[in-house]
Amino acid sequence: MVMSFFRRPDESGIEHIEAQVQRMVNDARHTFDLALNAITGGSVETVADEVRRTDRRINVTEMEIRRELVVHFAVHGGADATEMLVFMNMIKDLERIGDYNKNIFDLAEEGVSFAGADDLERILVFRDETSSRIAEMGEILTVQDGERARAFIARGDEIRHEFDRLISELVHSTEPAVTAVPRALLYRFLKRVTAHCLNVVSSVVMPVDRLDYFDEAADTQA
Amino acid sequence: MNTAVGAPGERRGMSTPVRAVLVVALLYLFLTGVELLGGGFKNLGNDLVDGLFEGVSNPIGGLCVGLLATVLVQSSSVSTSVIVGLVASGVVGIDEAVPMVMGANLGTTVTNTLASLGHLRREQEFRRAFAAATIHDFFNILAVALFLPIELATGYLSRTAGWITGQVIGSSGSSFRSPLKAAVKMPAGWVEGWMVDLGARGNVKGTMMIVVGLALIFLALTFITWNMRLLVASRVEAAINRTLGAGSGVVAMLLGAVVTIAVQSSSITTSVLVPLAASGLLTLENIYPVTLGANVGTTVTALLASLATGSPAAVTVAIVHTLFNVSGIVVFYPVQRFRRVPLRLATGLAEMAASRRSAAIVYAVGMFVVLPLTGVLILR
Repeated sequence: MVMSFFRRPDESGIEHIEAQVQRMVNDARHTFDLALNAITGGSVETVADEVRRTDRRINVTEMEIRRELVVHFAVHGGADATEMLVFMNMIKDLERIGDYNKNIFDLAEEGVSFAGADDLERILVFRDETSSRIAEMGEILTVQDGERARAFIARGDEIRHEFDRLISELVHSTEPAVTAVPRALLYRFLKRVTAHCLNVVSSVVMPVDRLDYFDEAADTQA
Repeated sequence: MNTAVGAPGERRGMSTPVRAVLVVALLYLFLTGVELLGGGFKNLGNDLVDGLFEGVSNPIGGLCVGLLATVLVQSSSVSTSVIVGLVASGVVGIDEAVPMVMGANLGTTVTNTLASLGHLRREQEFRRAFAAATIHDFFNILAVALFLPIELATGYLSRTAGWITGQVIGSSGSSFRSPLKAAVKMPAGWVEGWMVDLGARGNVKGTMMIVVGLALIFLALTFITWNMRLLVASRVEAAINRTLGAGSGVVAMLLGAVVTIAVQSSSITTSVLVPLAASGLLTLENIYPVTLGANVGTTVTALLASLATGSPAAVTVAIVHTLFNVSGIVVFYPVQRFRRVPLRLATGLAEMAASRRSAAIVYAVGMFVVLPLTGVLILR
C-alpha cells in the first residue's frame, strides 16, 4: 500500500470521481429498467434482490464520492471548489433517481401491473425514452457537450409537462382509485426521474448558483 | 464534470520533469544556504556569538528558542536545518542543540492547530478537527517531557546519535569528507567573495552571509514544499483514498513518513488530516499513526542539511531529531495504555475547546507564543 505511493496513479482524483459518477448513472439506468419491466408485466420476485442490491450500491457510491471529494479538497485546497460543489449536487440527484426507481418497483411489489392495460403502449414509450435519456445523461456528462445538454433539457421540459398534464387528468378523472392512483404515482415518479436527470445535465451548461433552476430563468434572477 | 481541469499540478503549466529538475535546483540552493549560514557564524566575533546564544545554554531556554523560531517560520525543517548549520559552525554545541531540536519539533504543530481553528463555527466539526490537530502537540509535549530529562541525565539521545554518526560516517573528528559539502562549497564561496568585493569584513560579512543563508534556506524550502506538493498531490490523494479506514497503524505511519519526506513538511501532511478529521472521515485513532510518521519524515530535511556541512556534530544533532521521534513512537504507540495518553489528552482538550471556544485561542496563543516567549525572556 505504501509502495503504491511511488507509482503514478492511473487517474487523478477528479477522474476517479467522474468514473464513480458514471457508475452511479449506469446503476440508476439498470434499476430503472428492472423496475419498469417489473411494472409492465416482467418478473418481480426474480429481480427484487437485484433492484435492492443495485440501489444500495448507488447509495454506497454516493458516500464514497463524498469522501473522495473531502479528500480532494483537503489535499488540493479550494482550486476545484466549483467542480466539487457540482459533484455534490449531481450525486444527490443520481441517488434520488435510484430512490424513485425503487418506488416504482415497490408499486410492482404491491401488485401493480400495467400488463394488458389500455395505456400500456404509452407507458412503454415513456419507459424506453426515459431509459435512453438516463444513458444519454451519462454521455453528455462525459463529452460535456453544451448543445446536446440544452437539447436534452428542452426535451426534458416537454416530457415533464406531459407528465403534469397526465397527473392533472387523473386527479380530475372519475376512474376508480385502483386505476387512477397507480398511474398518478407512476407518472409522478417518472416526472421526478426526468427532473433529476435535467438537474444533472444542467451542470454542463448552468453556473453553479443556478443548478436545478434552469426552468425558472425569470423569477430566480437577482 | 469538467474533465479538462485535470489535477491542480497540471494546471500550473509546468511539466513534471521540469518541476522535478526545479526541485533538485532548489535543494541545491537550500544546502548552499546551510553552508552560508555555518560560514557566516564562523565569521562572527566570539563575543557577538556568545551574546547571541547565551540563552540556549539553559535547556529550557533552548527548548523555547527552538519552539518560538519554528512558530515564526512555520516550518521545523527550516528551524532544524538552521540549528544543524549552527552546530556545524561550532557556535552551538550538541548539548545545547538537542533541546532546541525538541522545541522545533513542538513548534511545527502550530500550523495544524491554526488550521483546525477554521472549523471553529461548527461545534462537532471543530471538536474533531481540534483533537486531530492537538494529538500532534500532545505526542510532542509528552516526548519532550519524557526524553528531555532523560537526555539531560544520561545523554541517551546525543550519545546514541553520536555512536550512529560514528558508524555511518566513520569519523569522530571535527569534519568528514562530504560530497554534498564539496558540491555547495563553490556557490557559497562565490557569495562570500561578492561580500568581500562589497567591502564587508568580520562581523558585517558574517551577518550578511547569515542573512543570505537564512533567506536561501527559507525560500528554497518554501518552494520545494510548494512544488513537491503539486508533484505528489494526486499520489497523496490516491494514497489517502486507498488507506481511508483500511490501513493498519504501521501502514498509516509509513504513509505519513513518505508523504512528509516527499513534500518536505510535516505541517502539510498533518494539516491535510485536519479537514478529513473534521468531516468525520478519519478518526483520531486513524490520524495518530500518520502524525507520528510525519514527525519522523520531517527529520529527513535536517539529515540532508547535516550531510552537506561536513560536520559529524551536525549529523549527530540531525540524528538526535530522528531518534527523538522514533523513541517517542516506541514509547507512545505500541503499548495500548501509553498510546491512549496523547489520544485522551487531545480528546479532553478538544471537548473543552468545543464547549468554550476561547479556550482554543488561549491554548494556541499560550502554547505557541506566550510560553516560549516568556521562557526566552526569562532564561536568556
